[in-house]
Amino acid sequence: MMIRIDSHTHWGRCWSERDGADPSNWLALAGKYGVSHSLVLPEHGLFNAGAIAAEHDLLERVCSRSQGAMVPCCTACIWEPVEALSEVRRCLSGGRFRGIKFHPWLQGCSVSVPAMDDMADLAAEFGVPLIFHDGTPPFSLPSQMALLAQRHPRTNVILGHAGLFEHYQEAAAAVRAADNVWACLCGPHLEGLRHLLDRCPLERLLWGTDSGFGLVDGLYYRVPLMDLLRLNDAQAEAIYQTNPIRVFGLHGVLA
Amino acid sequence: MTMIVDGYVTLGDGLTRDALLRQMDAAGVARAVIAPEDRELAVYNEEGNQRLLAAAGRAGGRFIPACAATPWRGEEAIASLDRAVRGGCRLLVFAPAVQGFMMTDDRVAPLLHRAGELDLTVYVHTGPHSMGAPTQAVLAAQRHPGTRLILGHCGSTDHAWDIGAVARCHLADNLFLETSLARPWTVPQYLEAAGADRVIYASGAPRTDLAFELDRMRETLPVETHPGLYGDNLRRILGEAG
Ligand SMILES: [Zn+2]
Repeated sequence: MMIRIDSHTHWGRCWSERDGADPSNWLALAGKYGVSHSLVLPEHGLFNAGAIAAEHDLLERVCSRSQGAMVPCCTACIWEPVEALSEVRRCLSGGRFRGIKFHPWLQGCSVSVPAMDDMADLAAEFGVPLIFHDGTPPFSLPSQMALLAQRHPRTNVILGHAGLFEHYQEAAAAVRAADNVWACLCGPHLEGLRHLLDRCPLERLLWGTDSGFGLVDGLYYRVPLMDLLRLNDAQAEAIYQTNPIRVFGLHGVLA
Repeated sequence: MTMIVDGYVTLGDGLTRDALLRQMDAAGVARAVIAPEDRELAVYNEEGNQRLLAAAGRAGGRFIPACAATPWRGEEAIASLDRAVRGGCRLLVFAPAVQGFMMTDDRVAPLLHRAGELDLTVYVHTGPHSMGAPTQAVLAAQRHPGTRLILGHCGSTDHAWDIGAVARCHLADNLFLETSLARPWTVPQYLEAAGADRVIYASGAPRTDLAFELDRMRETLPVETHPGLYGDNLRRILGEAG
């Protein structure tokens, strides 16, 4: 199968409730649409800080059964900075987790608090990116993430939704405001996607589906939507393969 | 057979009248609401209204023209709305985030009131965070029970969580939901909560692709079993048969 990396997915609680730690059904859905590899972000921990560590263990178990097709990312409750940094360090030290995800809107924390600066340094130390839910004020604006990236030029910062419907122009401005800001095409409408493709450096665009938050199959919309962009070969290769491999450091990880 | 009506298309923003008609033909869409461009919503109300009326006049009934009147223009806005309706406009569009107000502001009340007197349906863009909350539009609808409001986009994305509660508990007789920008797989639950006669399909082109959106929605909800969604509901509230 050709490599096509989905840079934004989740392993939602509904999957464990049904399938335990067995990713076969999850992988079958991705495979049906030609997705070969996925970055798998937390879900339960975004709602419940007390569930974060256990979810990390679960994610690691699930992904370890995927033959390299699923790569986990971790999260933290930034309001408890000491515990947050130590839990993220625990995950990253194992080598399997390749990114740190924050959903500042759901998690109720600002991107601009000092603890997030510490987290950005930790990400740089391990060579993994920070991945943010973005497109939602007051805690999840692309401009807030752009300034964080400017303060931490060694840390890659990914806009997980490239601004959604309302903030995609701000997302494009954020990508152009710092060389370490990346945008994941996952959320904007067609006009927004075209805007981003026109204005952002190709080498910092990714693609994602937000698949797995629930059991519902959203890929029947998200995958063909990208076909409407009529990406040329170079664009498709960058967005689906080489860019995610670079930003998540997947060279040795992918099966 | 259901005549498919696309409940919201922006005529302009690069989409010409002829191109729209071609896209509608190719997708099997009989008629479409045509709405002003953002700059016409924000500033050039009158020019936009006249432009859309002219386009509709040359489209053999296939376009349903909407109009704009910004509440910031006060009395002038009322006069402009009256002119637009006399000319044939069938809906009034509010895009509070583009026009710079909230649906709960007092300044929007005279226009909502006048729309009710004119039996004119009001389409409200919902979704933008502070200025497009569906809950704001619901309060406006409660204050103006004689005015029909369509909640455009079902609050997508971040206000989508409001729609469940609105549909279950606050859907007064003058409220309707519209699906453009809502992910197709979310629409069945809105239909379930709001009822089949309260949800209106739209593509939101040209921000989206007219044919693709219809195709994906049909994959989710077939036209044959959902005539209200694909046209009958809109035609009914516009006072046409159905
Ligand atoms: Zn997500």
